[in-house]
Amino acid sequence: MRILVVEDNDLVADAITLGLSTAGFAVDRSASAEAAGTALATEHFDLLVVDVGLPGEDGLSLVRRLRSRGATQPVLILTARDTLAIKVQALNLGADDFLLKPFEQDELVARCRALIRRANLYAGEQVNLGRMRLDVAGRMLRIDEAAVELTGREWLVLECLALNAGRVVSKERLQQAIATFDQALTPNAVEVYISRVRAKVGDAAVIRTVRGLGYRLDEPRN
Amino acid sequence: MNRATESAPSVQRRLLWFLLPSLAALMLAGVYANYRAATAFVESAYDQRLGDAAVSLAGSLIRDGQRLRVDPGAVPATARHADHLVALRYAIINANGELLAGAREVPAAAASMTTNPTFADAIVAGERLRVASYRVSLNRDSAVISVAESAAQRAVPGRFILASTWLMDFIQLDVTLLIVWLGVHFALKPLLALRRQIEAGSPRELNHLDATTVPAEVKPLVEALNLLFDVLAEAARSQRRFVADTAHQLRTPITGLLGNLQLLMKEPAAAALRPRLEALHAGMENLARSANQLLALARADPSTSFTEQFEAVDLRALAGRMVEGNVDRALHAGLDLGLEAAAVAVRGNVRLLEDLLGNLIDNAIHYTPGGGHVTVRAGLRDGRPFLEVEDDGPGIPEDQRGRVRERFYRIPGTSGHGCGLGLAIVSEIAEAHGAQFTLEAATAVGGTRARVLFRSPLPAQV
Repeated sequence: MRILVVEDNDLVADAITLGLSTAGFAVDRSASAEAAGTALATEHFDLLVVDVGLPGEDGLSLVRRLRSRGATQPVLILTARDTLAIKVQALNLGADDFLLKPFEQDELVARCRALIRRANLYAGEQVNLGRMRLDVAGRMLRIDEAAVELTGREWLVLECLALNAGRVVSKERLQQAIATFDQALTPNAVEVYISRVRAKVGDAAVIRTVRGLGYRLDEPRN
Repeated sequence: MNRATESAPSVQRRLLWFLLPSLAALMLAGVYANYRAATAFVESAYDQRLGDAAVSLAGSLIRDGQRLRVDPGAVPATARHADHLVALRYAIINANGELLAGAREVPAAAASMTTNPTFADAIVAGERLRVASYRVSLNRDSAVISVAESAAQRAVPGRFILASTWLMDFIQLDVTLLIVWLGVHFALKPLLALRRQIEAGSPRELNHLDATTVPAEVKPLVEALNLLFDVLAEAARSQRRFVADTAHQLRTPITGLLGNLQLLMKEPAAAALRPRLEALHAGMENLARSANQLLALARADPSTSFTEQFEAVDLRALAGRMVEGNVDRALHAGLDLGLEAAAVAVRGNVRLLEDLLGNLIDNAIHYTPGGGHVTVRAGLRDGRPFLEVEDDGPGIPEDQRGRVRERFYRIPGTSGHGCGLGLAIVSEIAEAHGAQFTLEAATAVGGTRARVLFRSPLPAQV
């Protein structure tokens, strides 16, 4: 997976480049929107990490230019200015996520992975999540290459959590995901399926309960 | 406002205090002058009558050879004036001092040699009298005719004049005072309108006052105020820009430093230095938090346009977002962070309310020891929407609950966390939303419940 980082501040760019490389991504860096435009014209990138405040053309303008050309790669916007206006503008222009400086390295890596995962899902490809590999089309889960048997509803719960890994998925949303017309659900159906999925996934992923809100799947920390 | 009215009386009161005593003194002088003029006129009229009576009595004197004598048939029992049936006493005394007619006790005024009667006041048997004397000369004989009138009789019209003068002048004074009061009130009306205009606006909004409706005397003052408002607003704007720019300029280098430090801590070679790197990391995170708090405070300032950008804010969704955003921090601190929320909406600014709840959650996570619980709540309480963060940490001592809302204040003995602006930000944002911010013990044994109670909910969105 190849990522282009567009950031003019060397210290920030170094940290991002190093952090993403360590996480297993191939990283290129541009210090301006113009340089990024040149790189994008000749190379393919799976994800763009773009700072808003660039010298010359700013990051938002770069995103607009990119989208008007029909480019579909996910874009993660970085900004030091956390006004709602910039956030709304960035998302309207076609950015996929928004990260406010200063941020944690782990957060950046998690967001980048999630963006690439979602882009792959839309492309109907396999989704890798730590030791787990989900074949979305074939409804198949592999952990360390070994196939894991899941019932239909267990798969739906895991798919919903895995595609939103690192984000809290509400109980209502999981309930909707597993609801079918032919079978009524008991009120604690979601809890039941969560505990079954937890047992089957084992230590390949952590499924956390966020009290009052829902569930969140994370890759286990090493 | 109150201090101003205590230190200096209002213009209205000043004018009335100045006008009332002068007008009252003027009225008293007027009453006195009128009374004096009227009584002098009455006195002379009475004297004229008395003189006429004396002169008419001269008609009863007849010549008897070289002597004067009174014609008994022509002398009335009492002298009568043509117009007034007022009893007059009289005495006619010849040059030898013999009483020709009348009563002996009637005194004579020092009679002049002229043909005009002379007048005098006298007291006879304790009675005040006014006497007119008229000398009649015939050859070598002469007689003095004196007519006396009781002064008490004269006092009657005097009292009447005094009473009527008082009455007239009193009515005149009342009417004058009423006109003065109305005039002052009317003249000051634009000033009162100006005062209402000033009171109606929030003192921190620094809106211009309408200078077109104020009187010419006050116009320069209002224009000077408007100029001052402009200067203040510009100063507030540039201060806000400075704080915001500074916070933004700080964030980028902090991001770089923090990122590099976090990567450094993962290096196998850094294992030996880990405690020192972790202390450095904590300090860096504190710096980042301070920059964020300064920015949030600049945003929460009511003079910013943020408070005007109010819209419907779903508190349950907001609380959900903020809980989700803090799950990692809570996990890291070994805390159970949870949400208990019901659907409720208020009018507010979503960015400011995020700052508010974010600071409350941040504080709860920081001050609650590992293994504890932090619960974020949103809902309705007695018909009023609220946001609440409750923890089972050590709690805030009661005597510190007021002070912790002050800017840059930290409870003595607690570790540094941000720059002590968290609850000041919460207070300002609550105030901007017309909401009440309270801090209380969650239970009898401790814990903290921070609650922001809004005034009224928005009707549910259809």
